[in-house]
Amino acid sequence: MGAKKASPDLLNSSFSFKSLKLKTKQQELLLRVSILGLVYVLAFIARLFSVLRYESMIHEFDPYFNYRTTLFLTEKGFYEFWNWFDSESWYPLGRIIGGTLYPGLMVTAALIYWTLRFLRFFVHIREVCVLTAPFFASNTTIVAYFFGKEIWDTGAGLVAAALIAICPGYISRSVAGSYDNEAVAIFALLLTFYLFVKAVKTGSLSWALGSAFGYFYMVSAWGGYVFIINLVPLYVLVLLITGRYSMRLYVAYNCMYILGMLLAMQIRFVGFQHVQSGEHMGAMGVFLLMQVFYFLDWVKYQLNDTKLFQTFLRITVTSAILVGGIALGVGTASGYISPWTGRFYSLLDPTYAKDHIPIIASVSEHQPTAWSSFMFDYHILLFLFPAGLYFCFKRLSDATIFIVMYGLTSLYFAGVMVRLILVATPAVCLISAIAVSATVKNLTSLLRTKQKVPQTGSTKGVGSSKSSSKVTLDQSQPFQKNGAIALLVGVFYLLSRYAIHCTWVTSEAYSSPSIVLAARGAHGNRIIFDDYREAYYWLRQNTPTDAKVMSWWDYGYQITAMGNRTVIVDNNTWNNTHIATVGRAMSSYEDEAYDIMRSLDVNYVLVVFGGVTGYSSDDINKFLWMVRIGGGVYPVIKEPDYLVNGEFRVDKGASPKMLNCLMYKLCYYRFGELVTEYGKPTGYDRARGVEIGNKDIKLEHLEEAYTTSNWIVRIYRVKPPTNRL
Amino acid sequence: MAPRTDSTSTGSAMSETSVESSIDPLFHILRTIPFSFLRPPRLRLKLPSFTLPSPMTVFSLILLTYFLVISGFIYDVIVEPPGIGSTQDPVTGAIRPVVFMSGRVNGQYIIEGLSSGFMFVMGGVGIIMLDLALDKNRAKSVKASYATAGVSSIVIGYVMSMLFIRIKIPGYLH
Repeated sequence: MGAKKASPDLLNSSFSFKSLKLKTKQQELLLRVSILGLVYVLAFIARLFSVLRYESMIHEFDPYFNYRTTLFLTEKGFYEFWNWFDSESWYPLGRIIGGTLYPGLMVTAALIYWTLRFLRFFVHIREVCVLTAPFFASNTTIVAYFFGKEIWDTGAGLVAAALIAICPGYISRSVAGSYDNEAVAIFALLLTFYLFVKAVKTGSLSWALGSAFGYFYMVSAWGGYVFIINLVPLYVLVLLITGRYSMRLYVAYNCMYILGMLLAMQIRFVGFQHVQSGEHMGAMGVFLLMQVFYFLDWVKYQLNDTKLFQTFLRITVTSAILVGGIALGVGTASGYISPWTGRFYSLLDPTYAKDHIPIIASVSEHQPTAWSSFMFDYHILLFLFPAGLYFCFKRLSDATIFIVMYGLTSLYFAGVMVRLILVATPAVCLISAIAVSATVKNLTSLLRTKQKVPQTGSTKGVGSSKSSSKVTLDQSQPFQKNGAIALLVGVFYLLSRYAIHCTWVTSEAYSSPSIVLAARGAHGNRIIFDDYREAYYWLRQNTPTDAKVMSWWDYGYQITAMGNRTVIVDNNTWNNTHIATVGRAMSSYEDEAYDIMRSLDVNYVLVVFGGVTGYSSDDINKFLWMVRIGGGVYPVIKEPDYLVNGEFRVDKGASPKMLNCLMYKLCYYRFGELVTEYGKPTGYDRARGVEIGNKDIKLEHLEEAYTTSNWIVRIYRVKPPTNRL
Repeated sequence: MAPRTDSTSTGSAMSETSVESSIDPLFHILRTIPFSFLRPPRLRLKLPSFTLPSPMTVFSLILLTYFLVISGFIYDVIVEPPGIGSTQDPVTGAIRPVVFMSGRVNGQYIIEGLSSGFMFVMGGVGIIMLDLALDKNRAKSVKASYATAGVSSIVIGYVMSMLFIRIKIPGYLH
């Protein structure tokens, strides 16, 4: 303010420093908008490690199927896509793609692609697919800000947006290139929850309508929508039990449930599950319970007589529960209401999958979670979560009850299955943000309020007792102020360690496209193994177009998308018997396997082998799962035949069935002549760390077609039957 | 129920009037034999009404569940790892215990899970104690002790967790 008088010839009267000084509200708005803008950009660029290191390509296995379907959608249009029957996978069965996928992701990417083309940005659909996930992650941070604002205040919203932008639990499934359903689904999940909480808070029909549409987007995007349709009724039930029934809740839940259910039935894959499947019955039960509550409220209002009402209440509640129970029993017994599917039942009873469904148990993402996975994905948030719960319990309201329930249920499910850490991440970030915001508020209020006390003390000079008490307060003030400053520095330090941890984890662990492998060479330089794409492109260019390829189901999507050839089984794993047939072929002797391959019209067999590079996710390490799944359908295949004393071995001490089965022969063909490591004998398998048992392998019905440069992918041609003499 | 030695005359007088109205033989038998000398007491049975527990009770239960989940209790139940691992020393041949399962991020022994979970919960409780320390309605000494306990819990919890993760994942932050 003194600058005005300093040099009047330098400053014009229209431009002075005074006009730059904003009012507090404007300052706050500027701060908030700039923080959100920075968080938005941060969420996007934190996910770009693999694009910068390798190239812009699709990662993993499942995204290749999504990419292929999106390509089909943009080329042929929506109606062709919706009614698509694909004969290139699951030969000879084929797959009704239109009716067995969740179209949300593909339609979203196609819409973005068409919008960009309309604006004359002619990008390739692959670029749009690769960058869809980071774009939606940025949008999720904005939704998290608004959600935090609803639950607590704007400070918590900002912290929540910042935490969720870099949280490794979310980054793991939404990195650039990870074109999978979860990329869009988490955005839809958080949006639906935010709109529903807003609807319960305001009781307005338009917010409830918004949440129904948010639910529809979630249903179209991911099979995890079952979580929403069970959490929201559970939340409503908890509100009813704690006596928070209100007209707002009634309007919000009814609108969301009915409209959401009707909209969800538009997706062919979901169909009529909302009225037929056991997993959706909870929502219907709570819906009917809400009607009972409303009815009782109305009767109470009409009667004006408490005693009569009490009797009426008892009769109604008993009869409602009885009728509901009988209806559920009749529905389940008659088979109209199907029981919980294996995937979701194993969440309630975690030991179920291990004993009954080997396919579900074999996926590494479905294993239960150890403490180190939690620490890896959450770091500081694990400390802040219980503190945040404490603050929520201190200030209980409809919104905080919701976030507590979301956090607890999702954390339990995350404990059962590693993959579900993703679903728990928004809740953990929001609750931790509450803890950070409340603690920082407490500390800064300590810093601020004590400043006013000496002013009042100095103006009131009367009374020695008063002055002495003020003096004692003065003595403790700087101590408290220093303590508060020290604690604030500590909070800042912890949050900066969180940021460092998240960046390190993203860079090292979650940014690898599994299709391109990297390793450190002898001199510390990075060596890239691009064998997968080499093999798929060989298939694309050197085999007849109607060739059929048999491989383990992991690679099916990639073979169809990049190799453009028909496969026998792929990652959809909808037909267990077909997969078991392939597993049986892989684990039988060559003659039996040849019969099975002839019956399936197989022309090429593809195996993945890591013995030369030390790559440990190859088919030999997955072999026991092939045996188990094959043995689950064909009792001819017995797991103990392949083990020696319960141990899986490939060296000289391995069982004879193992040494002569098709998978062994295909992986180790000509491997016995190769020297893989200095100082070790020929045929030393670097992935298992042993010298193989059977080096002299002769193939009778197959011949080697192609082996990639690092021996990771090996392709064999199935010879036609010899002429009978 | 102790049999009441009651004046049976009034009892029999009552039973005679109801005997004339009913034709059920069992009713009569039941009336005369036990209830001539037994009188049922007047009970006041109420349906148990349940009161909701206080928020802080629920919170402590939830904290316990959180501790179990975060220690990998479900992993322990399903995979059934040993409580503590062991390796054999190649030189001396003695069996040495191994606390942290190395080689994978998603694997643990039971004791390492429980101790890590305890550190996390301690850190969380430290933050809660900090908030209790800033509550205005307590004596100064109590506030000061809460504050020191809170800060020390957070520091110890954080340092130990970092130590554990560095032991578990050898290349951490490199």
